[in-house]
Amino acid sequence: MTNKAARNLFIFGSLFFFAIFLGLTYDTMGKLDKRAPEITEQVNAGKMVWHKYDCIGCHTIFGNGSYFAPDLTKTTVNKPKGYLKQFLMDPKSANPNASMPKLGIKPDEADNIITFLEWTSKVDTNNWPPKPILATAGGVAGRELTEGQRLYQSLGCSACHTINGIGGTTGPDLTTVGAKRDRVWLAGHFKEPKAFVPESPMPKVEAPDADIEKLTDYMLSLK
Amino acid sequence: MSLKYQSQKIAEYFYTFAVVLFLVQVVVGIIAALQFIWPGFFILNFNTVRTLHINAMVVWLLVGMMGATYYVVPEESETELWGLPLAKFQFWATVVAVTAVILGYIWMGINPQANSPIMGMTPLNEGREYIEAPRWADALIVVSVLLFLFVNFMTMLKTKKWTGIQGTLLGGLLVLALMYLPGMFYTKSMVKDQFWWWWVVHLWVEGAWEVIAGALLAFMLMKVVGAKREVVEKWMYIEVGFVMFTGILGTGHHYYWIGTPSYWLWVGGIFSSLEPVPLLFMVWDAFRTTRDARNVENRAGLYYTVAHAIFNFVGAGLWGVIHTLPQINKWTHGTQITTAHGHLAFYGAYVLLVLSMIYITLPAIRGVKAFNASRAFQSFWWMTISMVFIVLTITGAGMVQVYMERLMGLDYVAVKANYNLWFWVLRAIFGVGFLIGVGIFVVDFFKLGKEPAPAVAAVSDR
Repeated sequence: MTNKAARNLFIFGSLFFFAIFLGLTYDTMGKLDKRAPEITEQVNAGKMVWHKYDCIGCHTIFGNGSYFAPDLTKTTVNKPKGYLKQFLMDPKSANPNASMPKLGIKPDEADNIITFLEWTSKVDTNNWPPKPILATAGGVAGRELTEGQRLYQSLGCSACHTINGIGGTTGPDLTTVGAKRDRVWLAGHFKEPKAFVPESPMPKVEAPDADIEKLTDYMLSLK
Repeated sequence: MSLKYQSQKIAEYFYTFAVVLFLVQVVVGIIAALQFIWPGFFILNFNTVRTLHINAMVVWLLVGMMGATYYVVPEESETELWGLPLAKFQFWATVVAVTAVILGYIWMGINPQANSPIMGMTPLNEGREYIEAPRWADALIVVSVLLFLFVNFMTMLKTKKWTGIQGTLLGGLLVLALMYLPGMFYTKSMVKDQFWWWWVVHLWVEGAWEVIAGALLAFMLMKVVGAKREVVEKWMYIEVGFVMFTGILGTGHHYYWIGTPSYWLWVGGIFSSLEPVPLLFMVWDAFRTTRDARNVENRAGLYYTVAHAIFNFVGAGLWGVIHTLPQINKWTHGTQITTAHGHLAFYGAYVLLVLSMIYITLPAIRGVKAFNASRAFQSFWWMTISMVFIVLTITGAGMVQVYMERLMGLDYVAVKANYNLWFWVLRAIFGVGFLIGVGIFVVDFFKLGKEPAPAVAAVSDR
């Protein structure tokens, strides 16, 4: 191959692939809005808050960013809004173990950013992030679960709490909660968390008394 | 090699600024590494420290490439640089603008409210990874790059010697300038935001920058071992050609999970898995060209050049291709695996590239034929061994994270704070090793050619 032929291959080959890339970009741009919910003014305001505090300097969103703190794409799916708001404004008041600093996020900014994150959680991301294989399998393997264990799963408690190493770290670890709390405390706390822990960001457990009783039994068995 | 045109000395201005920012990058990198262990370790939060770490890197590599270009273009055009005062103005304007942006980041880090939007734009930090520079700074960067391109283009126009090397270099720089533009407008959709953001980030580092690297590699092979231009340029075209053929559509590997249509899984998967191929060509090219070279005057330059080719392939190529297929990337996306790839790729492809250009051109600029290369080798081994271990520890952390968080379903924070703790400790230790290497290099940079010449000038007995 002569030098001239090699040069022409480089130039025209590059232009050829760039033309394909432009075509795909055009097609993609036409499809993006259908793959995501409508962007309201509040979603956009939340996105501006995201940029203002340089959130991507620690977190990732759609998996892109800084890998220093959790990915926030689906965070509103598992975490209660009240918790998120309190956490955003003063992380350590919602979770004493939090590493996130208090940035001075204002109440309306917190609302906006939660709305923005609700938007990202509904974007069609080709099923990313995938459901963890083992944790998913653990719930459907046909093991005999007690009523309380089933309620613990169906109410989504593990999004924030950990038992035996599995679960979230935003709420207290419950592995030995049965040794620390009694029945009155646990059942009362489920119905009205703030009556027992004034600063608690935990939402009330909206369930019939019978279910609260079963959940309490389960908690007491954790020693 | 001796200096042919006085105006080539402008390169040293750019090299000096690049070297200072390199040191800054590594020092803040160690602070960031310690914050993985103690998040509250420094007056600035992690996001600001990391912004400084990656921005210092992008700027110093860019400034280093600019210096290298100012050296290469007069040599290739066989004439003095056109408009040397303009080039000097471009240099000082860049220093002032970069310093202002850095001070803005620090101010915002201390007082986040200072970044409250003014007319819909955040004034100090755009809050977008790698292109955090605010919009006003974007405009200054564009002006600086246009001035730079203008000076070089006018120099080429003086003699109209359109060599392949400088044509490719100019082409790469032009694409670099153009690909900065997609990052300069606001979109309300986070999906579109990231879509265009990748045009800047990916088409820079896996497109324009690799083209520039290919052109500079060809130049260095010619200068260090006296390779023949016809052969070197032909392989350069083939290498940079394949970089573009695979890299442009390889952008698709960033469009798997951000809300874009699923056909990108095919496009990105196929083309990005071919991206290591041209990088392997470069390794083969470097070996083939230098294998029979004897009596090399500048052994340090040769060393860095070949190492650049090898680690470009290992870091950008191998460490990229291991997690580029969608079936794997589904689990590894957004984990420390990406961090590991980023570190080795930037070190191999661009840090070693700029350092090779410095070691090849600086002796001529300083007016010496031979120099004592012992510090150059020392810093090379300190940096390279440390970086390899930094990357291995982060890769280990990434594997643990993928298994525990993504497969088992453990919480992100639990994995990071407990199971990966020792990886962070080791990474920080190797980071200090890297800093030692950089320290030796910085000393060498400022002393090179200014000490008495070594007793044995050229090494001819090896």
